Amino acid sequence: MSGVMASGGMGAGEPAREAARLLRMRRRRTWSVAGWGLCAIGFGLLGIAMGWILLMVLLRGFSALTPTVFLEVTQGTGGGLLNAIEGTLVIGVGSMILAVPFGVAAGLYAAQFSHTLFARAIRFMADVLVGVPSIVLGYFGYVTMVEGLGWKFSLAAACITIAILCLPYICRTTELALSQVPAAMQEAAFALGAGEGLVAWRIALPVAMPGVVTGILLAFAISVGETAPLIYTAGWSSYMWNGQLVGSPVGYLTYAIWAFINEPFASANALAYAAAFLVTFIVLLISVTARLVLLRRQGGR
Amino acid sequence: MTAPFGDEAMSTTTNDSAPAAAASGTVAAAKIAIRNLDFFYGSHQALRGVTLDFPERQVTALIGPSGCGKSTLLRCLNRMYDLYPGQRATGEAMMDGMNIIGPGVDLDLLRSRIGMVFQKPTPFPMSIRENIAFGVRLHERPSRAQMEERVEWALTRAALWDEVKDRLGAPATGLSGGQQQRLCIARTIAVKPEVILLDEPTSALDPISTLKVEELIDELKRDFTIAMVTHNMQQAARVADRVAFFYLGEMVEVADAGTMFTAPREKRTQDYITGRFG
Repeated sequence: MSGVMASGGMGAGEPAREAARLLRMRRRRTWSVAGWGLCAIGFGLLGIAMGWILLMVLLRGFSALTPTVFLEVTQGTGGGLLNAIEGTLVIGVGSMILAVPFGVAAGLYAAQFSHTLFARAIRFMADVLVGVPSIVLGYFGYVTMVEGLGWKFSLAAACITIAILCLPYICRTTELALSQVPAAMQEAAFALGAGEGLVAWRIALPVAMPGVVTGILLAFAISVGETAPLIYTAGWSSYMWNGQLVGSPVGYLTYAIWAFINEPFASANALAYAAAFLVTFIVLLISVTARLVLLRRQGGR
Repeated sequence: MTAPFGDEAMSTTTNDSAPAAAASGTVAAAKIAIRNLDFFYGSHQALRGVTLDFPERQVTALIGPSGCGKSTLLRCLNRMYDLYPGQRATGEAMMDGMNIIGPGVDLDLLRSRIGMVFQKPTPFPMSIRENIAFGVRLHERPSRAQMEERVEWALTRAALWDEVKDRLGAPATGLSGGQQQRLCIARTIAVKPEVILLDEPTSALDPISTLKVEELIDELKRDFTIAMVTHNMQQAARVADRVAFFYLGEMVEVADAGTMFTAPREKRTQDYITGRFG
């Protein structure tokens, strides 16, 4: 490299290169501002929508919350919501009792034997099930159980329908949590002479537990917020649950929202807002709990 | 080791098709004798006609550039590859008259006889005590007192007892990296295997922990046959009795550690150990 050429090249190229650099910087800054701007708009739209919903539910619902709501059952278009609160919780817990064993087992299988045809089938069917509209599941429950098996509107029909609805969520979150368990850790257990079942049960599942629990909690939140499948399967009852699995309908909070909001009575509207508040509050509580479970997991690592 | 030339003639296990093995002088009998072992990841052949002896109660180091098949060979010996469809081995790996890679081997039993320690420490999500007990319980039904005794024995042998004896109930994930790796070694020897496979056991550790683990390996070879993969030439020179050099899926040369690092026969070996490639 001759010094003459180098210095000559630099002398001619320097201002042009500097200008090009400034142009690049300016262009980059413009795009950056545009990108952040779009993000802010998106965040604002979401925030406003959610804030509006929460505010409305809070304001109208909170003022409608009287001791009566928690202490009395529904009477016509008035009274309380004790029957619905109880029904929502019983349906939620009942459907989880049905869905959790199957969902976790299916997720465990799909994760531990991920390459097998059966595992791929599980994943595919779970994805299809997620895509089925909940009202179609409700209709399915109505045709097969309420009518077909003669169970009438009942807790069993409601729980089984909601369990089917929640199954794919539990299955996929379980699988996801398990697939994040380090392969080296499982290999180490195999290397000691442990069998597949033991490795899954004692090593993989405990490590993945926070993720699995989060999935179950979110599925529970879904069961609390569902309406359409329950209208078809649980019916509605103004009385407390009588302990029967089949033959008698069950009340639940989302029905109160759906049915009472259009009634021409202030007492009915108040009940609808109170129910909306309770559903939102329960779902929010479950979501926050799920977040905390996940946070604790990350802190523990 | 003391009479390399006389031994060479005696070594009936040496395979003529692998000339590199011919120079291997060894006093100890082979605990594991590998003959013409081929290994496949699907259609990709990772090991070609490997023939190698692991002498009893000696440390055999496997060296070679990344991807040369040395870790693959370790994973053959405890049949780790069985976990993955499409991976298969052919040939012979004889231990006490049994072909390890043959059909009909009880894998759980085999893995209790051939333990393995991995590159990264892999403590299980349980207490320190339970980490040790987990493996023991797979193969035995000891009483509570016997188990306590075994835990102390294994942790002592792994030079970890003094550091953890007051917190055996604490989660193992709270230990430092070096402690975790010694816990993994304790967990492996607690099962009382005959052979220990070490897959780059110190590559994730700091120098002091590395030194501790190396001292430990030196101490363990009194009771166990050890096969160790390492990328560290100094480590192989310090710890190993015998060194085998692998290149592109073939076992190029095996010799006593002293011979290997002072007078390797193959040019490829020389180039690798002097840092010309790899």
